[in-house]
Amino acid sequence: MTKQRNRNSRLFLSTRKCILLLTLILCKSVSANAFNDPQAWLEKLSQATSELNFTASFVVLKPNADVEPYVWRHAIVEGVEFEHLNLLNGPGREVVRVGPNISYFEPYTPPYTLQSTTINGPIPYQLVKSYKDLLGSYNFVLVGRSRISGRAAQQIRVVSHDKNLYAYNLWLDQASGLMLRLDTLDLNGQVVEQLQVTSLEITEKPDSYFARIELSELPRVVELSNKAEAILSWRVNWLPSGMKVVKRDIRRLSANDGRVEYMMLSDGMVDISVYLQQLPNGFSQQAALKHQSNTLITMQRDSLAVTVIGKLPTETAGAIASSIGIIPQ
Amino acid sequence: MTQSKIEKLSSLIDGESQDEQLIDELSTDAELSQKWQTYHLTRDIMRKDVPEVINFDISEQVAKAIADEPAIVAPKLSRWKSIPVIGNVIPLIQQSGQIAIAASVALAVVVGVQQYNHQPLPDEPYVTTNARGGTLGVASGVSLEQTRPIQSQRTDAQEQRRRINALLRDHQNQMRLKSQAIKSEPTDPEKADDETTEQK
Repeated sequence: MTKQRNRNSRLFLSTRKCILLLTLILCKSVSANAFNDPQAWLEKLSQATSELNFTASFVVLKPNADVEPYVWRHAIVEGVEFEHLNLLNGPGREVVRVGPNISYFEPYTPPYTLQSTTINGPIPYQLVKSYKDLLGSYNFVLVGRSRISGRAAQQIRVVSHDKNLYAYNLWLDQASGLMLRLDTLDLNGQVVEQLQVTSLEITEKPDSYFARIELSELPRVVELSNKAEAILSWRVNWLPSGMKVVKRDIRRLSANDGRVEYMMLSDGMVDISVYLQQLPNGFSQQAALKHQSNTLITMQRDSLAVTVIGKLPTETAGAIASSIGIIPQ
Repeated sequence: MTQSKIEKLSSLIDGESQDEQLIDELSTDAELSQKWQTYHLTRDIMRKDVPEVINFDISEQVAKAIADEPAIVAPKLSRWKSIPVIGNVIPLIQQSGQIAIAASVALAVVVGVQQYNHQPLPDEPYVTTNARGGTLGVASGVSLEQTRPIQSQRTDAQEQRRRINALLRDHQNQMRLKSQAIKSEPTDPEKADDETTEQK
């Protein structure tokens, strides 16, 4: 009888030990794994995208448009960042980045080089490289893990503070931290645009492609005229949280079009263009349409047409357009 | 121009080599293309292939002639009129018929232009919007030119569509030039302000 009790208590003790050990391990793994924090993941993403040598193939899907396949290469050659983005279908479009110089090679235009930190294209550089700028307007939430492109992936939801803008679902490679997939979602959770990596190769050495770039053959840097910012007699009275005016301008769209007054709004993730145009007599312009993943809204104000274009929900575009107020002289 | 380039050009003309890069250069380098013409002329003279009138480059003359041509859609003399019976009947219908035909032609041309515009172009870039007329290919310029005489037939909806396409294209360009704009205008107080707040 006593023997039996003894054994029971020993058994009990060992289970308790086990639980203790388990809790200890769990605690330890939590403290050691800073990757329960979405910001740590985004940090890893931006480090990986600017430090690793990799070659990725990805496709971009947009409503009412063909699939766009791309190759994206990145390498560090003698301390300088090299990047290559190539649209593989049709006449193509090729972008080569060497340090701060970005050269665009496209059909129908002579190649040119701009100085910039980001390549304008399907990759959301602000999110990939400097997520900290987005903290003011977006929330980042860790969702869970899944399998993307044959790799273990960590999912992060990116939602704007006031939910007036599109949300994003981002999947990062568990091992390297590189982006594997990005879904853009409208306010109802429907996919508006999708970027999906189909193959990803991380290498020790830079891709042989970069050895073939002849630096002296790249087009010269285009210096845009240092035009002073135009003073417009109107302003946007309502903006989604985090949006700011980044550019004001007055110009012509083409030789036979009238003058437009232009304003660009941006929160880093989304760029929105606002146009004010004088309409010809007796001409009216009202439209709301989707062009691929862009939304376009035109409203008429007396003889003026107000147009808002960008990747944003129709309701928000409408609210921006109708909030425009003329500043009394 | 280097000696090796001239040699390459010579072997290209003789069909001995196929140098893509040289062909590209030919279209941009005026001196090289001048050489190209001279070589061809020399060859033609040597082979006694020279025509009686030597027009070195008629493309320029054709372009000039097209530019000088008044943009009028002149009605041709009707063939119907030479046929006795129908010739009398047709003019009655013609009054309304011609308008209908003109309208349908206008529609076809406008639809053509729109389809061209509507294609999801791979973001045509031009460094400034104004430079567009100069850099963009011949296709849009010519087709727009053709619609000019009948522009009055355009409906508001079509005009609106054209405007919207222009705006969408401009939006694409502006996004590309954005980072440049921020960088090249740091002196502007408000811009600088925007920048700092963005970076916080």
